[in-house]
Amino acid sequence: MSIIRPTRRDLLRYLGTSALALPIVGGRRPAFADHGEAHKRIIFFYTPNGTVPVNFWPSGGETDFVLSPILEPLAEHRDDLLILGNVDMESAFNGPGDAHQKGTGQCLTATELLEGTFAGDAGESAGWAGGISIDQKIAEVTGEQTLFPSIELGVLVGRSDVGGRINYRGAGEPVPPENDPAAAYTRIFGDPDASSSDLETQRMRRQRLLEQVSMDYQRLADRMEDQDREKLDIHISSLADIQDRLQQNGVQFGGECQMLDLGAPIDPTRVDMLPEIGRLQMDIMAMAMACDLTRVGTLMWTHSVADYVYSFLGEDIKDGHHSLAHKGDEDAPKVEHNTRLNVWFAEQFGYLISRLKAIPEGDGTVFDNTVIVWVNEQAKGNNHDRHAMPYVMAGSAGGFFSTGRYVIQDKAAAHNQLFVSLQNAMGIEDDEFGNTAYGKGELPGLRG
Amino acid sequence: MNRLLSITASLLLALTAGCRDDGDDGGALAGAGDPGPSPLRRLTRIEYNNAIFQLFGDTSSPASAFVPEETALGYDNQAAALVVSSLLAEQLLNAAETLAARHAPAILDSLASCKSASSLDGSCTTQAQAWVRSFGKEVFRRPLDDAEADEWFAMFSDGAALGGGFDARGGVEMVVAGMLQSPHFIYRVESGRGEPNDQGIDELSPYEMANRLSFLFWNSPPDRILMDAADADELRTPEQIEAQARRLLRAPRAREAVRNFHRQWLGLRKITEVLTGIGKDVEMFPDYDPAILPLLQQETEAFFEFAIFDADASLDVLFTAPFTIVNAPLAEFYGVSAPSATDDHYARVELPSDRYSGFLSQAGLLALYAKPDRSAPVLRGKFVRERLLCQVPPPPPDVVPEAPEVDLTKTTREQLEQHEVDPLCAGCHQMLDPIGLGFEHFDAMGRWRADEHGLAIDASGEIIGTSDADGTFDGVIELGAMLGNSDQVRNCVITQWFRFAHGRAETDDDEQSIQRIREAFAASDYRIQELLVALTQTDAFRYRRVPGLWSPSEEE
Repeated sequence: MSIIRPTRRDLLRYLGTSALALPIVGGRRPAFADHGEAHKRIIFFYTPNGTVPVNFWPSGGETDFVLSPILEPLAEHRDDLLILGNVDMESAFNGPGDAHQKGTGQCLTATELLEGTFAGDAGESAGWAGGISIDQKIAEVTGEQTLFPSIELGVLVGRSDVGGRINYRGAGEPVPPENDPAAAYTRIFGDPDASSSDLETQRMRRQRLLEQVSMDYQRLADRMEDQDREKLDIHISSLADIQDRLQQNGVQFGGECQMLDLGAPIDPTRVDMLPEIGRLQMDIMAMAMACDLTRVGTLMWTHSVADYVYSFLGEDIKDGHHSLAHKGDEDAPKVEHNTRLNVWFAEQFGYLISRLKAIPEGDGTVFDNTVIVWVNEQAKGNNHDRHAMPYVMAGSAGGFFSTGRYVIQDKAAAHNQLFVSLQNAMGIEDDEFGNTAYGKGELPGLRG
Repeated sequence: MNRLLSITASLLLALTAGCRDDGDDGGALAGAGDPGPSPLRRLTRIEYNNAIFQLFGDTSSPASAFVPEETALGYDNQAAALVVSSLLAEQLLNAAETLAARHAPAILDSLASCKSASSLDGSCTTQAQAWVRSFGKEVFRRPLDDAEADEWFAMFSDGAALGGGFDARGGVEMVVAGMLQSPHFIYRVESGRGEPNDQGIDELSPYEMANRLSFLFWNSPPDRILMDAADADELRTPEQIEAQARRLLRAPRAREAVRNFHRQWLGLRKITEVLTGIGKDVEMFPDYDPAILPLLQQETEAFFEFAIFDADASLDVLFTAPFTIVNAPLAEFYGVSAPSATDDHYARVELPSDRYSGFLSQAGLLALYAKPDRSAPVLRGKFVRERLLCQVPPPPPDVVPEAPEVDLTKTTREQLEQHEVDPLCAGCHQMLDPIGLGFEHFDAMGRWRADEHGLAIDASGEIIGTSDADGTFDGVIELGAMLGNSDQVRNCVITQWFRFAHGRAETDDDEQSIQRIREAFAASDYRIQELLVALTQTDAFRYRRVPGLWSPSEEE
């Protein structure tokens, strides 16, 4: 059933040394060939530490639902929402790792973690995720047409272990987010100060450089076994990504694709600047989509168990996010604080929707061809529940989903099924994702 | 039957191998046990920055902007966890190009024949070829072979021609930017000496040994003396290795590496990084100022540095010392007099020996393992259990109610009694709480307190489930003495150093190596410096398995 197109990286894997001599099919491709033609996009929006379910779930029925306090900021986008009830992260009750590690590592992979030595509440038992994440599976296909197969941006993602990564190219292959808006901008759109002849010289030099460097890695990899070889293969495929990109034209500004003014530099590690950093990352993500530099994005707000104090939401908030999430249900002031945090996240989700709606495309906007998916590592912070995940989607992905609805599954569904729906929406005909023991086939009732 | 046969066969092999060893290499591999795995290690960001400093005198620390290391077992240098993503590969590329552009002019000044040349003539060729070899040896931390030297000279030539004419600077930049991305720079590549024994075990090459020593003790590439010793093949015998280890340990750079270890083993960075985001309850602690947090981290790091290097201390001193190291703001924080301490100068101060006991009673860790408004005996007990006893408690159940808000009419101990009553909790919490309660004389800020909001403090506790540290105790003084003299703690410290030194978890195959360290550590009366030297005297440190030749012993 699964339609698998070999990627350059697969070829590298299978062909070993000779792969380096592969011509890049099609030579230099334009970064975006057809302005105006509708491409589907998908963006994952991650927030940690669960939500406050009692203040999250809407009341009412499928179409006459009333938004909850947490989702109220999305009122102006109500008709574009698809709120998913009774979908569990069932896989995340299985395999190595503690509740947070499993919730984060399986957030987009829907399969058990590898064994490993990351420390958590379950001791030093968990490794990286055990399979490809949904965004990367989609990117393997849609990425053939864009400069970046996918773009991962972070906002104070302060952990470099299984609790700080949701994107995986495969088992044990995490993709880190870029936390610094300025660095992300330069990486995606190029150095705003460089002239075109500078860039051409740089491109030629890099081609020669990477040819030599890749050869060095390949020769070394050929001498290695097992883990060492895998490690170098991953490094080689990362170099191949850069080489692939050098074969293409860089971004060409024009139309809706415009340079962004990032303003004064911001220290991307400052908690008090979190709102500004997040806004810039969303602007960059929206512009990358407008320029068709990628069609798959992830925006990661902090990390699992992040305990930053969101005092910018009020002087009275003195506990970190994770600490707040752990307060008992009867602790009304702290529940209100945690609700305020999640309301704020909903406002950010709304901002991203508005940004995409502001970019015209064809007869509508980029948003019409996009689906944004709000995911979490837990459903509820104080008991680590991963049933009834607070999943919210926005956008129909070009009419694939029927929005403006609160769809409660009759029978508890698995998040594997959500990802099957998403991959089908993005044009990958496959009714399986992750470990099918937890569920397969689309999530019923989402299509238009 | 099969089993017997294979034992006989391997015995025979071992005997014949022994004979042959006597014949050729002076018996360096005679008695070589299984060194365990030697995974390919990537430079950490600290090591990368140190290497760039060593190569160019460049203090810009470019790696600080790289994707942080994936941490495992608490350490940033664990080979199995480190992955090079496309983002990191790009960061390595950008850093290499930036450094090449910055330092090419100075390099070019040393290549006079090329700088003035209008084409790649004979004298420039000679000079550039010599430079590729000498610079390459510094970057790769070993000599280049002829084929490599030819390839990198070709890079020079191509780089110089990139603009159409001849520009030697372009050639220099190409070589520098390329070498700084090479696996031979980014990784610590080891192939061995090339003379394996019949078990497929080989000695390290002299350069590989120079690297292991230097990265262990300095988190840096080898210095000139180590490279000269490698050139002369004088890093081979245990005595030669030991002499270098002692030399490296005497240098100031070793202090920073040992700090780096403690920062990671005990998670000291969290005092600054995690606690800053959480803070303390300012109503309960009106004098709380987040500016103290980095100083508290400094205190514990400086204490370990002083104890290990200046006092050449034994392990128990770390747990029992009635002194600490403070600067002026820390002295004020603790309420002790330290006349010679200033903002920048840290000085040793004596503390009341009936209250304080080595790093166990230092405020940073105690504040870290506390809530904003109360001590957290569970977290403190968990810290001791995991990091000091090397035991992993089972995970808490998936549904954990948060303890209620601080109740001023009850002591923290009384509020924790639920754990003893509830059979769901008791099983695991008896491993944690009775240890953590020993710290009850230290409040949420980590400072000593006589009572808890006027209530009497009971700081008695108990250790259970260890090999030799079990027993009851009262307060941190007695706890420190028990831990500081426990074999389980000693072995735990060895395990932690082994993981940091080798970039991997210990395996069953390392038992012989670890046993050697234990013996040397004991023989030195548990002096930490001797433990560090002993790390270099093991099979795991001196040898490596040869891929394709080595196979697991069939004896077991």
